Amino acid sequence: MTESVIVKNVYKKYKMHTKPTEKLLDLILPGGYGEDFYALQDISFTAKQGDVVGLVGVNGSGKSTLSNIIAGVIPPTTGTVETVGQTSIIAISSGLNNQLTGRENIELKCLMLGFKKKEIQAMEPEIIEFADIGKFIDQPVKKYSSGMKSRLGFAISVTVNPDILIVDEALSVGDQVFAQKSKNKMFEFKEKGKTIFFVSHSMGQIKEFCETAIWLEYGEIKQYGPVPEVIPQYEKFLKKYKSMSNEEQKKFREKVMQKQRGLATI
Amino acid sequence: MKSMITIIKEQISSFYLILRLSAFEMKSANVNNYLGRFWEILNPAIQLAIYWFVFGIGIRGGQKIPLENGVQAPFFIWMATGMVVWFFVNPMITSTSRSIYSRIQLIAKMSFPMSAIPSYVIMAGFYSHLMLVALITIILQFTQFKISAYFIQLPYFMLATLIFLLALALITSTLATIIRDVQQLIQSITRMLLYLTPLLWHRDKLEFHHVDLTFLLKLNPLYYIVEGYRASLLGTSWYIWEYPSMTLYFWGITLVFFIIGSVLHLKFRNRFVDYL
Repeated sequence: MTESVIVKNVYKKYKMHTKPTEKLLDLILPGGYGEDFYALQDISFTAKQGDVVGLVGVNGSGKSTLSNIIAGVIPPTTGTVETVGQTSIIAISSGLNNQLTGRENIELKCLMLGFKKKEIQAMEPEIIEFADIGKFIDQPVKKYSSGMKSRLGFAISVTVNPDILIVDEALSVGDQVFAQKSKNKMFEFKEKGKTIFFVSHSMGQIKEFCETAIWLEYGEIKQYGPVPEVIPQYEKFLKKYKSMSNEEQKKFREKVMQKQRGLATI
Repeated sequence: MKSMITIIKEQISSFYLILRLSAFEMKSANVNNYLGRFWEILNPAIQLAIYWFVFGIGIRGGQKIPLENGVQAPFFIWMATGMVVWFFVNPMITSTSRSIYSRIQLIAKMSFPMSAIPSYVIMAGFYSHLMLVALITIILQFTQFKISAYFIQLPYFMLATLIFLLALALITSTLATIIRDVQQLIQSITRMLLYLTPLLWHRDKLEFHHVDLTFLLKLNPLYYIVEGYRASLLGTSWYIWEYPSMTLYFWGITLVFFIIGSVLHLKFRNRFVDYL
């Protein structure tokens, strides 16, 4: 199997500003201004075709940042990301135009992904069937429930047949029936040898789907390996973290903050 | 110069997309109104009526305006032929400056260049502009200003407007994404431009303490476009040839804008998402 995603030494640095003047200084001064915050530090890994990689970690550990960087939505500060084939990201806020109807959104979205009119016409019924939102397809998206929005977004993203699919907690919105449908679709993708990245807080889903997992801890890869190795360790950490007293949790967070500011190397 | 060529190449390669996306843009702009696209005529009509009342009757007292070829034109016709450009240029300057940061989240992941975003916003506005120009042309047929050979200059001035707007949009959309205050600044400037372009008031010579200040008005590149539209619609002159210095000045300014815009756009576009 060939490699489809190669991530090398990726850093994502944000500047923290408390006042607008600091923001302005940051723009003007050549070295920038403001406290650094590393959302991601020195991330390197490769994924092969057919891999299903779970991304786990507590809130703020950089899961969404990493998935956006793989999808090419945001650029890394330094480092490189190589992807072979088309990527498609499915997030809860799926980027639909609220004023337009579902049908128009399908066309708009596909156009922006670079499809021709004929291809879009061929895909449209498939998307509508998968989304299964009935008459609402001809209603403006602003009238949709949040479940409908994510169903439509999911349907578009999977039907455009991407080579690399990134699912960012999108399965948590739909109901059981739709979740099952999505899962089946993703198993289908898995069999076709596509690379899937799966962000979830549900260890059950990760264990069900993924073969390998990346455990992110505050912007760094804590562990990368097969699910049976990583997930028990992560669960153990969660348990320990939960059982810590407030005082200890606070200390832990402070330590991590220092690390993310690039001050300390632990 | 190299950046400018990159941008032009991107525009050409995504031309089909620009056309398709502008259709969606237009749809989503009017979807909430019951009268829909009719507002694109109704709005200008209301504005023209009030300006005619204030400036034409109130200030000028119904006096006519002498055109370059000596013909006396009613104020309303003189104003409408200039304002038709303004109704296109004014909303475009403000909406293109907003174009990138308001859409980037929706279309962060796409397979066409970001420089196409301002272009499709401009294209969407251009359709209603064409409609308005057609309407004005029809109205003019009922006056003494019937269609003439001079009318063939009009496509040239439309193209000039489009290119000028794109050049300006490249600068403003980039700056407004990085510094949101630019948006406010642009709004104030366009409000000023309404009075600094020959749209509502007319003077052959602008003198103050015996100093000729007319050239100041001509520094505004919109002067060329507005006068050009007027020359084509009212059939007064071959504006492109008869005022070569104005033509040169306009294209010079547009080129400078285009180069600055391309450089800025290319320099920052990879980081636009970070500025949200």
